[in-house]
Amino acid sequence: MSLAEHPLRKYTRPHVKKTTTCPGCGNGIVAQAILWAIDELNREEGLSMDDFVFVSGIGCSAWIPSPLFAADTLHTTHGRPIAFATGVKLGLPRQKVLVASGDGDLAAIGGNHLIHAARRNIDLTVVMVNNGIYGMTGGQTAPTTPRGLNTITSPYGTMEPEFNVAAMVAAAGAPYVARWTTYHPRQLKRAIKKGIQKQGFSFIEAISQCPVQYGRVSKLGRATAILEHFRDHSLKLAKAREMSEEELAGKITVGEFCDRQAPELASQWSELRARLGKEQG
Amino acid sequence: MAKVTLFPQACKGMEDCGICALVCPQHLFTSSGEMNEAGYVPTRLTEPEECTGCQSCMLSCPDMAIVVVKEKGEEAS
Repeated sequence: MSLAEHPLRKYTRPHVKKTTTCPGCGNGIVAQAILWAIDELNREEGLSMDDFVFVSGIGCSAWIPSPLFAADTLHTTHGRPIAFATGVKLGLPRQKVLVASGDGDLAAIGGNHLIHAARRNIDLTVVMVNNGIYGMTGGQTAPTTPRGLNTITSPYGTMEPEFNVAAMVAAAGAPYVARWTTYHPRQLKRAIKKGIQKQGFSFIEAISQCPVQYGRVSKLGRATAILEHFRDHSLKLAKAREMSEEELAGKITVGEFCDRQAPELASQWSELRARLGKEQG
Repeated sequence: MAKVTLFPQACKGMEDCGICALVCPQHLFTSSGEMNEAGYVPTRLTEPEECTGCQSCMLSCPDMAIVVVKEKGEEAS
């Protein structure tokens, strides 16, 4: 039996024959992880692409849902996908709203939206693809760039420490936060599925490879070399918690940062609307 | 046994990508040596019967160019 087409093609737009990414880019792996998670939810809970609204900002990873996914997609302004997604969720509380965008978009330009959406605990699933660099614009230093890396805007090495985004979002109050790399596609898929099912703000950080920009400046080169780096430098969170900051330098901590219950904003709005409607006749 | 289907027109090439060759525990992927329509040289499976059906290549392929279906003693539809 030979398949006529990939089983995930039923979730992609028919006119989009190919992914828009460079060869070896991790965005395709994250896109697949999202679609496999939705495929499982389709079989288990009957969710379809019509139940979703996908929101993305600007950057290479913003091209994951738009134009690839056959669903309602919003390709918004730089750094603002969470602001748009908040409006979509409050206006259409029954829809599942998933934000897929990059580190430059969500953690740098849109950093405050991310912090406050986590604090407000609005029911969004945010998948942040973190490649550690501004890929689309030519390889400039991002807040997520590892310290010491020579980029085109830091030819003598970045002097700033890198942003631990997952830990920050967990500290801001998000009920579900996980981090995996593109070397862990199964765990990534499970985390995204859990995030979609979670009532509340869920944040999944996918450490991803940019062979073109990050590969060049880090001298790692090919996508496979960056994936090998992820494989060799990933560390489970439970183990990392027993280690000192010096020992953790250069490591990528992966796992679930938190999984808890907290009052969710969109459902509180719905309850308030119902209560006031009753009181005022 | 597992059945592997490759979509060479979607593949972005062993030379430029090659992730399937990295993640395959059986080291079954190699270059096909022939260009596809987009100008990439897609991947090829050397010994399909050696595939264990772990699906790592399918999940790690950024371009949805590989499908691995596990066959459990029955004809899959």
